[in-house]
Amino acid sequence: MLEHILSLGAYLFCIGIFGLITSRNMVRALMCLELIFNAVNINLITFSNSFDTQQAKGEIFAIFIIAIAAAEAAIGLAIVLAIYRNKNSTRIDQFNLLKW
Amino acid sequence: MNIIELFGPLQEIIFFILEIGVILGSLGVVLLSNIVYSAFFLGLVFFCISLLYFALNADFVAAAQILIYVGAVNVLIVFAVMLINKPESLKIFPVWTVGDKITLAICLTSFFLLVNIILNTSWSNITVITESKGFLESNFTQNVQRIGSLLLTQYLLPFELLSIVLLVALIGAIVIARRENLIETNKKKVLQIKKSPTTF
Repeated sequence: MLEHILSLGAYLFCIGIFGLITSRNMVRALMCLELIFNAVNINLITFSNSFDTQQAKGEIFAIFIIAIAAAEAAIGLAIVLAIYRNKNSTRIDQFNLLKW
Repeated sequence: MNIIELFGPLQEIIFFILEIGVILGSLGVVLLSNIVYSAFFLGLVFFCISLLYFALNADFVAAAQILIYVGAVNVLIVFAVMLINKPESLKIFPVWTVGDKITLAICLTSFFLLVNIILNTSWSNITVITESKGFLESNFTQNVQRIGSLLLTQYLLPFELLSIVLLVALIGAIVIARRENLIETNKKKVLQIKKSPTTF
């Protein structure tokens, strides 16, 4: 049971890393980042349910991670909109504004 | 009171259905080339994960997951896709390059390594250690009450810092995404007004 859900978290983490590296669209990279956050949350909730049933500390960390992920999504999509307005593209390999 | 205990023998079937949803949904997020489909598959993944939290006896986090991820983050992503999206290719699956295959090999290796570590760890020993510490007598029987009391006593400082972080992030997102054309058009109007009497 525990191994089952931990394996699900590992799968979600690995496929998030894969999508984050290989995606060419910046919005898709942000989606894969959300998948990675969700993998971390699944692990935290599972450990909290299995080992720490008296004090739900893992759930509190999961709530913190959810809030940080919401802030990150807002900032990331705002940056994507600003870059799209300037360069008229959302491809990751065309973002070379900070190169010398 | 564990919610999943109500279902009894249906537990395995419920977990199996939720895991199938998560696996297929995340594959759809990564592999489909149309990004609108990816956004909706992401919503499916978030929803299945929140039901998984319900089954794992964490009902407050499940409600927060539905409210924040499905209700806010996914809607924000769909809005960004609708504002930005350009039709690029009509193929369902994109072309795979050499770098994609190398990344796939690395990710598969790390996945099997992680699963190997998970299966080889003896989790029952950890359960014995943690339960031998003795239970704290908790007055709060409900999950939500426990989380609320911990957030306002032991985790008060991170909680307040988190609210400041959210405020700063929202203001920063507005500042970054705001159009700056309004100021320029006002300047142009001023210039036109100044130029217009000289022409006459």
